[in-house]
Amino acid sequence: MSTPHVLLGLLAGGTKHGYELKRAHDERLPQARPLAYGQVYATLGRLVRDGLVMPAGQERLAGPDRTAYALTEEGRTALDRWLSAVEPPMPHVNSTLFAKVTVALLVADVDRARAYLIAQRRAHTDRLRELTALKTATSSTMDDVVAADYAIAHLDADLRWLHTTLDRVADWHREVHP
Amino acid sequence: MRPGTFVRLALAGNRTDAARVALTALSAALAALAVLAALSVLAIQTPPGGPRQESEHYTNALLREPGLRGGTAFAILLLTIPVLALAGQCARLGAPARDRRLAAFRLAGATPGQVTRVAVLETGLASLLGTAAGLATYLVGRALLHRPDVNGRLALPTDVLPTVPELALVVLALPLIAAVVSALMLRGVTATPLGVTRRARRAGRPRPWPALLIALGVLGAALFEPIRRASADGLDTLLFAWVLLGTFTAVLGVVLAAGWISHRAGRLLHRYARSPAQLLAARRLTEDPWAGSRTFAALLAALAIGAGATAFRAWFALREQVWREDNRRAGISAFDDLDDQRSAFYLRTMDLVDLAVGVAVAIAAAGLLVMLIEGITARRRTYAALVAGGVPRATIGVSILWQVLTPVVPAVLLALGAGYTLGRTVNADIVSGGDWEPVCRATAELCADPATRDRHIEWVLAGGVVRSPGVPLEQLALLGGGAVAATLLTVGLGVLLLRPNTAVEELRAT
Amino acid sequence: MTQLQARGLVKSYGPTPALHGITLDVAEGEIVAVTGPSGCGKSTLLHCLAGILRPDAGEVVWRDQRIDTWPEAARSRLRRTEFGVLFQFGQLVAELTAAENVALPLLLAGTGRRAARTAALTWLDRFGVAELADVRPGEMSGGQQQRCATARALVTEPRVLFADEPTGALDTLTGEQVLTQLVRLAREQRTTVVLITHEPRIAAYADREIVLRDGVIDHTGLGLDASLAGGAR
Repeated sequence: MSTPHVLLGLLAGGTKHGYELKRAHDERLPQARPLAYGQVYATLGRLVRDGLVMPAGQERLAGPDRTAYALTEEGRTALDRWLSAVEPPMPHVNSTLFAKVTVALLVADVDRARAYLIAQRRAHTDRLRELTALKTATSSTMDDVVAADYAIAHLDADLRWLHTTLDRVADWHREVHP
Repeated sequence: MRPGTFVRLALAGNRTDAARVALTALSAALAALAVLAALSVLAIQTPPGGPRQESEHYTNALLREPGLRGGTAFAILLLTIPVLALAGQCARLGAPARDRRLAAFRLAGATPGQVTRVAVLETGLASLLGTAAGLATYLVGRALLHRPDVNGRLALPTDVLPTVPELALVVLALPLIAAVVSALMLRGVTATPLGVTRRARRAGRPRPWPALLIALGVLGAALFEPIRRASADGLDTLLFAWVLLGTFTAVLGVVLAAGWISHRAGRLLHRYARSPAQLLAARRLTEDPWAGSRTFAALLAALAIGAGATAFRAWFALREQVWREDNRRAGISAFDDLDDQRSAFYLRTMDLVDLAVGVAVAIAAAGLLVMLIEGITARRRTYAALVAGGVPRATIGVSILWQVLTPVVPAVLLALGAGYTLGRTVNADIVSGGDWEPVCRATAELCADPATRDRHIEWVLAGGVVRSPGVPLEQLALLGGGAVAATLLTVGLGVLLLRPNTAVEELRAT
Repeated sequence: MTQLQARGLVKSYGPTPALHGITLDVAEGEIVAVTGPSGCGKSTLLHCLAGILRPDAGEVVWRDQRIDTWPEAARSRLRRTEFGVLFQFGQLVAELTAAENVALPLLLAGTGRRAARTAALTWLDRFGVAELADVRPGEMSGGQQQRCATARALVTEPRVLFADEPTGALDTLTGEQVLTQLVRLAREQRTTVVLITHEPRIAAYADREIVLRDGVIDHTGLGLDASLAGGAR
C-alpha cells in the first residue's frame, strides 16, 4: 500500500498534525495494518524533503512538539497523478500462498501439500467468517463494510483456489514428479 | 432441414406434449366425425316426385323430409363448435414448455420459418392422424349401424356415402385449417429466440358492456314474430338468419360477460375473503378475468342454447295442449293423427337438441379439465414451494374450487337466463279458443266492393285467451345443476393432480 | 439447548443414494451452513430436516420430538408454525400482492386479515420493501422478490429457518444485503438457521459450516463461537 499517497490524500482536506494523520488513517482504513507514529513522521519527513508537504506552523501545548503539515501545490499534483493512474491488474502471481504449495509439491509428497491446503483453507474460512461477522454486526459502519468487503472478496478468491487446487493436487504432483 | 429432421423435431417433447398431440388428434377426429355425419345427411337424395317428396325409408322425419335435412346438417355442424373450442384449449396444454423448446431451436440457429414449420407440423400431423381415425370410425360405424328394421327402414343414413372428393376434403382440409391456426398463434413466439415473452397485460378491467350484446340479441329475437307477420313468405330464410344472428350475438355477450362476472366475483370474494383459499382464488380471478371467458366459453354457449331449447319445448308442449283443448271444445274427440305426429316430432326433435347440448356440455367439461390441469402444472413450482412452507394441499385445492365456482354460478345463471329469454321471445304467445273472423285490411272503398274485398281478407282469431308457456324451472335447474356438477367433477379430477405437481422435486428443477 | 438433531439419515432417489448416514446437532439460535459440491445431498438434507421429505432411515428430532414419523398433516402444520422455508426463487404467489404473500402464513394460522396485513407490513419494512406492499411479484426485481420471500419466511417468527440457496439468483450486493438483514434478525430473535449454499462467502455468515461430499459429512468448520455449536462431528 502506498502510505505516502494516503497521507497526501488525508492532508488534502486541510492541515493536520502527525497524530491526527495517524488517527484519520486508522479510522478510514479500518482493516489496514495500523500506522506506527514513527512511520508517520518518517513518511512526512520524506514528503517535506520532496516538497510535497510543508510544515504549517507549530503549536506548543502541554506535551511534545506538534507540527501541523499542509499539502503543497506539487503535493496536490502528485496526489492527482496517483489517483488517475490505473493499477496494473495483477502483473505477477507473487502470493506466498501459491509459492508455498508449489514448493511443498517439489520437496514433499501429495499428502503434505494437501495437509497444508486443508489447514490454510481452515484459516481462510475462519478469517472470512470473522470479517463477515464484523460486517453483519448492527454497529458496523460503512467504512467497516467496505473494508471487510475488500478483504472478503480476496479471501473468497483464495478459498476458491484452495478448493479447486485440493481437487487437482494429485494430478499436479504427477506432473511435477513424472 | 430435411423432412425427417422436421418430423423428429416436431415429435420431440415430454409427456405433456404427447398428451397435447393425443388430444389434438382426438378433437380432430371428433370434428371430422361431426362433419362427415352432416355430409351424410346432405348426401340423401330427394326421390323423384317433386322437391317435397319424402325419403320414406328413414324412420326419422329429420332425415325423411327434404326441408328439414338442411337444418339437421346445420345442427350437427354446430356440434363442431364445442369440439373446436376443446381443440383450442388443448393447444394451450403444455404451451409454455413447448414455446421454450421452440425458442431453444431458434437459439440453436433455426430460422423463424423453420420453427413455425416444426410447430405447424406437430399440429398438422396430429390432426391428420385424427381426421384419418375419424374417417375410419365413420366407415366402420356406418357398417355396424346399418340395421334396417322389419319394414326395411333405417334409423340413420347408413345407405348413403358422401362423395370421395368430399371425404378427401374433410380428411385434408381440417388438418390444414388446424395448421394455419397454430401458425397464427405462434407469431409471438418465433419472433424471439430468448423465448421469454412477457405477456402484455390486457389493458383495462372488464366492463359490463357485453350485457348490451345480450340485450341486442334478445331484442332481435323479440322482433322476429312482428317481422314475420308483416312480411311475405319469401323472407323465411332471411328471418332464419336473423334469429341465428341474434342468438350468436346473445351467446357472444354471455361469453364476454363471463370476464366481467369473473372480475366482479373476484373483487367481491376478495373483500369478504376469510380464508387464504378464498384470497388466492379472488386474486387469481381479478388478475386474469378473461381466463373465465376462455375456460367457460363452450360451456356457457351450450347452456344458453340448451336454455333456449327448454323455452321451445315448453312452447311446443303448450301448443299441443292448446290444440287438444281446442279440439275437445270443437267436439273432435280424437286428436288428429297428423297433428299428433307433428307434435311428437317437434318434441322428439327437442330431445335431439337436448342430447346435443348434453354432448356439448360434456365436451366443454373436458376442455375445462384441460385448462385446469394446465393452470396447475404452470404453477407447480409455486405450489410446491407453498406446500414445502406448510400450506396444506387442501387449501390449494379449495382455492381452485373457489376460483372456478365463484364465477361459474352467476355465469351459468346468466347463460340460462339469456338463453331462455331468447327462446321465449322468438315464440309468440299462443291464443287458445276464440273464433276466426275475417277482417278486411284495405281502404273502405276496396272493402266495400265484394270483388276486391276477398283479396284483402285476413282471418284473425278473436276472443281467444292469450296463454304463455310457464317457465320450465325444473329443466332449467337440471341444466344449470348438471353444468355446475360437471364443473365440480372436473375440479375434483384436476385437484387429484395436485399431489404429483407439488412434490418437492419440483423445487429442484430450475 | 439442542434445537434440531439428525441421526444417521439415509435417503435415496431410486438407486442413487443422496444421503448416506448424516448425524448432526443444531443448537438453538445457531446459524449452520451446509455446503458442498452440487449433488452432494445438501438440499435433500434440508428437505429431510424440515420434514418435507421422509428419510429412508434415521431420525429427525426437533426439540426432543421425533418428527420424521409424524403424518404429513402434522409435519405440514409444524412447517407453517414453527419452521420457515426460503428457496432460491419462485415461491411467491404471482397473483397476490407482496403484503398478501407475506400475510399468507399468518392467515393460514387463523390470524384476521387486518392483523395479518399489519404484521406483513412490519416485516416488509424490516427488509426495506414496505413501499412494495401492494405490488405483485411480477413487477418486482429479483432482489425485491427475495426480500418479500424472506419476510414471508420469518413473519410467523419461526424457531427454525431453512434457507436453500436463498441468494443463488441474486447479484452479489443484493444477496449480501438480504443475507445480512436475515442474519441480523435471526440473531435478534434467536432463530435457528439452516443455510444451504455452495459459496464459501455465503457460508461465512454462519456460525458453523458443515461440508457434505457424496451424502456424508466431509468435515465441519467450527465457528468462532464454538460454544454454540453442539458436539456435531
